[in-house]
Amino acid sequence: MLENAMLENVRVLGSAAWVFVALALIGGALAVTLPNILHAIFSLALSLVGVALLFLALGSPFVAAMQVLIYVGGISVAMVFAVMFAFALREGPAGAARRRRGLAGAAALGVFAALGPLIARASWSPHFARNDWTVAALGRALLQHYNVVFEALSVVLLLAIVGAIIVARREPPQ
Amino acid sequence: MTLHVLWPNTALMTVLAGAVLMAYVAFNGMLLVWLERKVSARFQRRLGPTEVGWAGLLQSAADVIKLLAKQLITPRHVDRPLYHLAPVLVFVPVLAGISLFPFDRHLQLHDFNIGLVLLFALAGLGFLGIFMAGWGSNNKYALLGAMRAVAQNIAYEIPLILATLPVVLLARTMSLREVVEAQHQLWFIVQQPVAFAIYFIAAVAETNRAPFDIPEAESELVAGFHTEYSGMRFAFFFLAEYTNMTIVCMIAATLFLGGYIGPSWLPVPGWVWFFGKVYLLLLVMMWLRWTFPRLRFDQLMSFAWGVLIPLAIVNLLLTAVAIKVWR
Repeated sequence: MLENAMLENVRVLGSAAWVFVALALIGGALAVTLPNILHAIFSLALSLVGVALLFLALGSPFVAAMQVLIYVGGISVAMVFAVMFAFALREGPAGAARRRRGLAGAAALGVFAALGPLIARASWSPHFARNDWTVAALGRALLQHYNVVFEALSVVLLLAIVGAIIVARREPPQ
Repeated sequence: MTLHVLWPNTALMTVLAGAVLMAYVAFNGMLLVWLERKVSARFQRRLGPTEVGWAGLLQSAADVIKLLAKQLITPRHVDRPLYHLAPVLVFVPVLAGISLFPFDRHLQLHDFNIGLVLLFALAGLGFLGIFMAGWGSNNKYALLGAMRAVAQNIAYEIPLILATLPVVLLARTMSLREVVEAQHQLWFIVQQPVAFAIYFIAAVAETNRAPFDIPEAESELVAGFHTEYSGMRFAFFFLAEYTNMTIVCMIAATLFLGGYIGPSWLPVPGWVWFFGKVYLLLLVMMWLRWTFPRLRFDQLMSFAWGVLIPLAIVNLLLTAVAIKVWR
């Protein structure tokens, strides 16, 4: 009976999935178009909440909670914090450079082209095999099944930290 | 996931339970404001409120009526969407958070097996709301207060979470109910005194209370991030703050003090134990506030990054090793 209740929950959430997709996309679109950078960050937070809700619709409450904890509560707050220290708030969209916009667009399209086939192949149905979110099950999932992904992500984070240090330590031109 | 609900789990009952919780949040806010006034008065050899109702008990009710009747003033150059969204974003996570706890063995809305993670995720949403308020108000005091709040919250959230992990290791679960059930033999505060101390200090800082009330330092920043809010909007921030205090004390009672478990030979229901522990911890928080002076900002930050976080990491590693060796 509990399983049925759970199924019912996910079915309802699943039919709302397009709302969550819309939330993520609208948030994302606002994040790259709004002139005020703080508004952009709050829109990004909205988009990330949409992604978290999508995880929920796909039957992963743990990943959804982590998404909110890390990306909305952590990364977005840290971004806001960094922006406060970094530059003038009323600055419009970085007057920068059509060239940079082109590059960013090309990069985004490249990533989409790479992920597109995978997205098309995946079956977007809730996973019931892992309805078990105990600490032991999570530990096994992270360190056995998803071990390679887990380690790869650690390397990505390390690279990001090193990159941040390099950017921060760059001496101003004399 | 399993359901531990007192009543049949129907939509109507969920709505009713939500209404009861909302009423509790409002009542609890009023009670704590009264208590804080009384406690601070006693600490300063005064009497506190005495006029309205018995021992001034209705003073808070009178304040609520005043706040409800007050005009809502929106300053002219605020960032409107953010200014209006902020009180909601601060209050809603708090309301959701308080619904997660097991108040008694069979008195819990829903036991999530990732309950602890959910609580911290909700807390994170609140920080964003605080920042929104500070920025949206278009006021230098509000902005300074919000910046201090964010810096402080980032610094103290880390030891807070690190201090709860040893308990998760010991109980082998993140479900709040199962953590309590794992403490029938021994409360976790006995095995984890250091973690409890770190948790409680970080919790006081997370709720922006003295000696960590730098984001709202009245003598420097008027009222910090909610300077520009009046009437019920201000009341939402205030209510969120006092409910947040209650939530961190509920987490402490659940993780370290055995939640609803008391000596079994005493014929006292579990929820009395639970709320008894919660309000005892709340009194300690008030005691701290009226005893210690405010810290300086650099002291605050170096205490978090230099003392609490390393201590919490060492404590976590030692706990992990001890569990591996002796279990």
